[in-house]
Amino acid sequence: MRMSPIKNVFAAAGAQFAERLDTAVPLTIADPATEYHRIRDAAGITDFSFMQKFRVPEAKAIDFLDSLLAGNVAKTRYGRVLHTFLADDGGNLLSDCYVANNDEEYIILCESIADDAAIDAIFRRAGSEKAGVQDLTLEYALIGVDGARAWEIMKGMFGADILGLPYLSIENYTFENEKIRLFRAGKTSEFGYLLMAPASCAAELVSQCAARAEKSGGGLCGLSIHNDLRLEGRFFNIHAEGKNVGDPLQLGLQWMIDFDKGAFCGSEAVLKRRARGLTHKIIGVRAAPGIDTLKTGASVFHEGKAVAEIVADCFSYILNCRLGLAVFPCEIAYSGLTFALGSPDGPAIQTVSMPPIMPKSLTVRLDEM
Amino acid sequence: MHMSGSMQEIIARRAGIINTFKNELIRRLNLPYTPEDLHEDVSLLGAGLGLDSLDALEIVLCVENCFGVKIPDGNVAVLRSINTIVDFVLQTQDGGAR
Repeated sequence: MRMSPIKNVFAAAGAQFAERLDTAVPLTIADPATEYHRIRDAAGITDFSFMQKFRVPEAKAIDFLDSLLAGNVAKTRYGRVLHTFLADDGGNLLSDCYVANNDEEYIILCESIADDAAIDAIFRRAGSEKAGVQDLTLEYALIGVDGARAWEIMKGMFGADILGLPYLSIENYTFENEKIRLFRAGKTSEFGYLLMAPASCAAELVSQCAARAEKSGGGLCGLSIHNDLRLEGRFFNIHAEGKNVGDPLQLGLQWMIDFDKGAFCGSEAVLKRRARGLTHKIIGVRAAPGIDTLKTGASVFHEGKAVAEIVADCFSYILNCRLGLAVFPCEIAYSGLTFALGSPDGPAIQTVSMPPIMPKSLTVRLDEM
Repeated sequence: MHMSGSMQEIIARRAGIINTFKNELIRRLNLPYTPEDLHEDVSLLGAGLGLDSLDALEIVLCVENCFGVKIPDGNVAVLRSINTIVDFVLQTQDGGAR
């Protein structure tokens, strides 16, 4: 089983671990409400080391990556990060990817629902050896720093320049004489940073980040709470709706695709489905407070017939109710409608516009700090 | 699929605003997508479509020109997705948003 270089830090803090694609991942550390408020109100430090990490030398990166991924790597400027996906030959999702143009290299971070061997096989078929791809997954940790006050921690660690980084960018910093690749990215709708750190200094780095977070009411968090935060902020989650639906078009991920570039892995199937037109798509649903049956797998009924299925769910502490995502026929996939949950006579749920919450981070002006 | 009259009414009104807005957004910002490609919940600024502050200004003008509705300065909550903009237009037309 794959082990994170910072597993011991999370184990010492009492994390509960689970296996995800042959990797031990810390799912929870405190109760969900505590972890939720650490990120929404302060800063949460999370171990994302389970994500696969690759380095491709600049010289051969663009052709290789553009033949593999749905987005346009060639158009990704220096210092910027492309958010896209890797699909299988059937055009179904395998991996949610960040691709960073970092000077003489491209760094790819993959959050996958396929194991290392499956991803490796697709990379090889696309010419990873010829492109000089290095798999850095075991040598590096990936530390998430997310929250309304995450920027304070990063500023304290790396200096005020950090405040000028736009969303989806990369910058290099030094920690204990080691190079840290810092991604300004995140999927909670609060400020988010991903620190890609060599294993040799990762434990000390995460300890220092956690100590700073604790001073502002934050602390270590598990991965489970990120499922809730992503849905509440309407960020795509490959482990929930991604795994349960598969089709990037039904999931509304067309923005991750450059339809005008050449072929990429799964492009033939994706383009055929696009030409046929969408029949179903994913939308948000909300239950009234106290209704706890809005859960993944539940059916949604309209005039006595099941018309949709819940494919992701969470509890929103801000709204005090359960939220979900469901795939509806396009003709009724609109916000503001009422359906029955679980059975024709089940409790009412409403389709809602996403995202349904306003995160604190959107009210912070970093340029005035 | 059978729909009640009120459901049809809600959908028709919302779909009309969505279609007008998507077509105008694609035209004004020269987006490389069809209206069907733009999911109504996709994030407009930062994540998702990744539009910038100049694009945001264009969206505000687009809403004003298409629907006669003015989005107040600095109201970033409205600009988060197509659906949040459509909600604002509907509420304003109904006299509920200021």
